[in-house]
Amino acid sequence: MKIKYYIDLVRRMDWLLFSAMVALAVASVLFIYSASYHGPGQPIKNLYEMQTIWFAVGLLVYLAVSLVDYRLICQWATIWYVVAIGLLVLVLATGRTIDGARRWLFGIQPAETAKLATLLTVSYYLFHHTLQTRRELKTVWVTVAMLGIPFVLIMLEPDLGSALVLIPMCFALMFVAGVRVKHLVLAAILGIVLAGVGLPIMWKLKEKRTGHPSYQKNRLTVFFHPDDPLTLTGAGWNLNQSKIAVGSGGMTGKGYLQGTQNLLGYLPRHVTPDDFLFSVIAEEEGFAGSLVVIGLYAALLFSGLRIAANARDRLGMLLATGVVVMLFFHVFINVGMTIGLMPVTGLPLPLLSYGGSFVLASMTALGLLQNVWIHRRIY
Amino acid sequence: MIISAPFRENNPRLRAIGFIIASGFLVLLIKLWTVQVMHGKSYDSKQEAQSLRRIRIPAARGEIIDRNGVVLANNRPSYDIAIYLDQLGVSKKTNIVSVAQTNLVTMSTALGMPVTITDTDILTHYEQRGPLPFPVWRDLRPEQVAAFAERASNLPGADLIVMPVRRYPQGSLAAHLLGYVGRADESDEDEIEKFYYYQPDRIGRQGVEKACDEYLRGSPGGRTIRVNPAGLLAEDLGEKGAEQGGRVTLTIDVRLQRIVEKELAAAPSSDGKKLSGAVVLLDVRTGEVLAMASLPSFDPNIFNPGTPVQTVNAVLNDPQHPMLNRATGARYPPGSTFKPITLLAGLASGAISPQDIVTCSGSLVIGNWQKHPFHCWNLTGHGPLDAYTAIKESCDVWFYEEGMKTGVDAITKMAGEFGLGQPTGFDIGTETRGLVPTPAWKQEQQGVKWWEGDTAQLSIGQSYLLVTPLQMACVAATFANRGTSLHPYVVKRIETADGQVVHEGQPDVRAHLNATPQQIEVVRHAMLGAVEDTGGTARPAAVKGLSVAGKTGTAQYKVAGKELPANRAWFIGFAPYDQPQVAISVLIEAAGNGSHTAAGVASAIFAQIFGKGGEGSGPSEHGVYED
Repeated sequence: MKIKYYIDLVRRMDWLLFSAMVALAVASVLFIYSASYHGPGQPIKNLYEMQTIWFAVGLLVYLAVSLVDYRLICQWATIWYVVAIGLLVLVLATGRTIDGARRWLFGIQPAETAKLATLLTVSYYLFHHTLQTRRELKTVWVTVAMLGIPFVLIMLEPDLGSALVLIPMCFALMFVAGVRVKHLVLAAILGIVLAGVGLPIMWKLKEKRTGHPSYQKNRLTVFFHPDDPLTLTGAGWNLNQSKIAVGSGGMTGKGYLQGTQNLLGYLPRHVTPDDFLFSVIAEEEGFAGSLVVIGLYAALLFSGLRIAANARDRLGMLLATGVVVMLFFHVFINVGMTIGLMPVTGLPLPLLSYGGSFVLASMTALGLLQNVWIHRRIY
Repeated sequence: MIISAPFRENNPRLRAIGFIIASGFLVLLIKLWTVQVMHGKSYDSKQEAQSLRRIRIPAARGEIIDRNGVVLANNRPSYDIAIYLDQLGVSKKTNIVSVAQTNLVTMSTALGMPVTITDTDILTHYEQRGPLPFPVWRDLRPEQVAAFAERASNLPGADLIVMPVRRYPQGSLAAHLLGYVGRADESDEDEIEKFYYYQPDRIGRQGVEKACDEYLRGSPGGRTIRVNPAGLLAEDLGEKGAEQGGRVTLTIDVRLQRIVEKELAAAPSSDGKKLSGAVVLLDVRTGEVLAMASLPSFDPNIFNPGTPVQTVNAVLNDPQHPMLNRATGARYPPGSTFKPITLLAGLASGAISPQDIVTCSGSLVIGNWQKHPFHCWNLTGHGPLDAYTAIKESCDVWFYEEGMKTGVDAITKMAGEFGLGQPTGFDIGTETRGLVPTPAWKQEQQGVKWWEGDTAQLSIGQSYLLVTPLQMACVAATFANRGTSLHPYVVKRIETADGQVVHEGQPDVRAHLNATPQQIEVVRHAMLGAVEDTGGTARPAAVKGLSVAGKTGTAQYKVAGKELPANRAWFIGFAPYDQPQVAISVLIEAAGNGSHTAAGVASAIFAQIFGKGGEGSGPSEHGVYED
């Protein structure tokens, strides 16, 4: 009675989690349409149709991932990890350079699969340690090494944002797994020192090689010196225009398809549907719209934390926590970026932003959450 | 329920994660609240500042008509081909020029018209008036418009726009009075601040166009648009129409003006160049200017956009200065036309009497200048004459003697009462005041004392005396009016576009002469004699069936110490003698037959405006020539 078994599983789903996801998906299609709308009579890019297809595909993946027991999935962790690293190497070796970065392989971003694979692998690794061994420093180094390989490969693409996501995710995993805070702080300090020395060297080398300043450095400069007149035209244009879009939305917004910042093209057209979709929503629906979006994410993530707390085992708890932290990092960085709270990194907004890879990755991650919930112990 | 859920298991580390996430959301919400709700207004205005633009729309200029309603200046449509940068597919500032030039070349080959627009023109337009149409070919001929219309569908981004252009349907007629329009150099600071894209009015540059500019200009309208980041038009938000300028009615009569210009131009000139001169015709009863001509002239239509620069420069750099209004803006010695003033000054001061007899021997020794006596123009001498004959025959010696008797102070005082040496108060402005020299003036300017010889020279209208043809027309009108002097004016009426009268020209008495009617009549009568009597020097001004009074004059002048080959010829006069209607002054810079040429011009004008037959007896009949 396989079918009855699966129907049972579906009936045990967390419907709040599912509903929040569907609501965000609908909002995504609506506002990608709006972001592509440039006035009456103007041609509209079919991005919203593409996104709908991605959601349809994503829904299948979501169901598949949520119904196969996560313990089974995690047993293959090593393979996922090796495949993900392989794809990252492949993209670096063969990927075409678009906008100065090699991120794409057959229409998919291997960085997204790497996030998921790292999540599974680190969770599985931490799950396999006893309470005692988890408190050893060695656990931290092994985890850091596991995250380090994809981190470095993603940095080489380069995709700073996606690489950075791995760090809070893995640290959160170690934290809830019971690793000593002392050790985590040590690793964090080491990481900060490394970044403080490493990044400037990397930018210097790049400047030497390409002859123009690194755009990562530019974006940080813009973030730390928002009033510099230089930033209002070059790298700071997007940030400035996004703030104007969000701010001019006011309390209730300008109305659907009425966002002038987007209509007139002040929000940069080629990145608005992915990086600045929140700005479009905030401009057209105002603070009310922002509140609804943040509310939906809160529903999604706190459902996730409830799932973590109710997981049948430590592995489920770790998986759920990892997904929650990963998604939260995306939301915080992206929304923060549109209002000048965070530097411009190009991290997409889970479910809302346009893009197949991340839609699939997000829905896979949410499928995992659902999975942990479905397979929880029922008292 | 949702939030409390993670804490059920009492996993403090999971709870810490939940706390961090909750704080993260809180931070986002607080920041969103600040940006959207607390500072929403300021971002809204930033948004407007960068995308809303106000464009000033200049008003159509009001028309200028003559006293009978004949149009002297109005507007006509100019069909221009303009390109819209926003429709050419210009995406970046950097490719504006190349995209526009590529399109222009395509259009140029399709239409067979050369491209005259430079890269700088395109950039300037883009930076200053980005979303506005950019006129490339102006003022097309009908066949060019048709050629464009046929190909318009293949020329995206190009459109036919209609711009009002100032038109002077009478061509150069009364050009100096009307003036012309040009682009404003300096613009109103307030307006620039109010309008992002400032399309300046055409402003009046000379004559009535300049003097009545504020009425003719009307009030500008405005258009609000949205622009995209490239600064190009994205959306039209509304428009407030401009209000057309008011209508100015002039006192001149196109028929008379045409007669005056034709007769002046027909006068023979002595130096073979285009005739230079001026005529002013006044209605003596009101001070209205019925006609005012200045030659050489120009066509004010050339100052419209679209005229080749060479054409404009040819006029501006013409050594004969066709733009100069010689009737009001140039100063000449009045010569013998000043003698009636000298005579009246002497009579009014009581120093001389009309019966004073002076015997003219052809010259007069003044002071110690035995070797250089002052000559009469008639070197053989007039013999004994009284005041009447002295005016009639324009004897210089009589006026040397009587002028010295009268004294410089009485003469300059009377000249002042006639309005010489000061502006006439002509309503459309810029006129030169001329010069009436006094002993104090000479001492100050030249450091030399005034002497008797200066007074003698002044008496015959030489010395340092300088006047304008308009001033001399006023002198003639004052004699015509028996001593009442009126301000001359040319603006009869100004109405707003909806017909409300805002200004009405009125006769305005400037002064009454300090002389008795009998004294004035002596001079008037002598002036009649100069024209009507046999042997009168102004005989060529006579018109059969019309009693004309007047006085000729020939003025010598020196340029760089050298006497010019021809003298300046004058005639001033009025008609009819008993009930004067018009006064005239004619000045010709290099007249073929001296003052008789000027008198002949006046005669021809009088004959036509009064509808009288042939001109008076010609000069050759008498063989009288005056200095």
